[in-house]
Amino acid sequence: MMDDRFEERLRDAARDYHRPPATPREEMWRRIEAARAARRRRVIVVRRWVGWGAGLAAVLALGIAIGRWTAGGHGTGTPSAAAGDADQTTLAYRVAAAQYLTRTEALLTGFRVETRGGEPAGQFTAQARDLLGTTRLMLDSPAARDPRLKSLLEDLELVLAQIAQLPSGSDREDVQLTNQGLDQRSVLLRLRTAIPAGPGPVRAQGAL
Amino acid sequence: MDERELIARVRAGDGAAERALYDAHVDRVYRLAYRLAGDDELAREFTQDTFVRAFERLGAFRGEAKLSTWLHAIATSVVLNGLRKVQRLRRHETDLTDAAALPAGGRRAEPDLKRRLARAIDDLPDGYRTVFVMHDVEGYTHEEIGGALGIESGTSKAQLSRARARLRETLADFAGEWVS
Repeated sequence: MMDDRFEERLRDAARDYHRPPATPREEMWRRIEAARAARRRRVIVVRRWVGWGAGLAAVLALGIAIGRWTAGGHGTGTPSAAAGDADQTTLAYRVAAAQYLTRTEALLTGFRVETRGGEPAGQFTAQARDLLGTTRLMLDSPAARDPRLKSLLEDLELVLAQIAQLPSGSDREDVQLTNQGLDQRSVLLRLRTAIPAGPGPVRAQGAL
Repeated sequence: MDERELIARVRAGDGAAERALYDAHVDRVYRLAYRLAGDDELAREFTQDTFVRAFERLGAFRGEAKLSTWLHAIATSVVLNGLRKVQRLRRHETDLTDAAALPAGGRRAEPDLKRRLARAIDDLPDGYRTVFVMHDVEGYTHEEIGGALGIESGTSKAQLSRARARLRETLADFAGEWVS
């Protein structure tokens, strides 16, 4: 009997425990819609990256193989055939470089926009690591003979290394420093200038 | 519109149906999140996360349970996991605060019964507190609690009983006053 009355009083008093205010329906709905839209954009970008990544890896491997093969003097053809091989090599590198730069631009643009909007930076580390490997391959390739492109690749290597090393719970300061580096070295501007214009994978303009 | 039709329309990408589903359940989800979190910003965050996940996973909802049960299973998982993370972050801070402001002890130090009760509920183990808040504070049935937490309704009853016993013990010095 005493226990029953105690529990009754307990339940009454407990109704005031963390008493919620009116539900902020509209505000939460707006934030839910924004979060879902951001997720959809991210999925599209990631899917595009996966496609580009696979294509880029194949083209880069092909380009490097052709380059090494021709540089090693394995060609036995006539001078004109050798010139043709050199053209093909250059073309392969240009295709690989164009795809790499486009993909890197997408990552860095996404990183800047999302992190400035307060989104976590952790989602970009895997792609940055992947692109970092490609950057090092590019630096070892004939593409880096162009001093302008080499300087850009070196800056990209630094920025991608910073993003790749961001811990999952990285604080705003780490992210801010990376964004400052991007701005101070005008990395995105130089990157966009270096990407050839036009719709196809091999284009006539830009640094390449 | 019945629940099955609503779900079908949400799956087909009907924005109005998404909003209708949200409107039908948001109050209960937000109230529960607030009761468990005790913080408006966290409660909003948990509620939003619950609905974002629910809309993402609705395609996998087989209709074996009621939609509200399924939704509350997501909500309790989001809230309890979120609170664990928050508690880990706050633990150090809280330890320092508690050490600096240790109560003198006894009722005189905490004359406010409701505050003392709130503290006692906060101090319950997570499982007991969740069941107590859902049942005694928010009025969920043991079947609903079982469905949301993935436990038998008998387990929910047992945990509620233990939670009440723990509170009775903690608030023993108030018991006589309350009963009289």
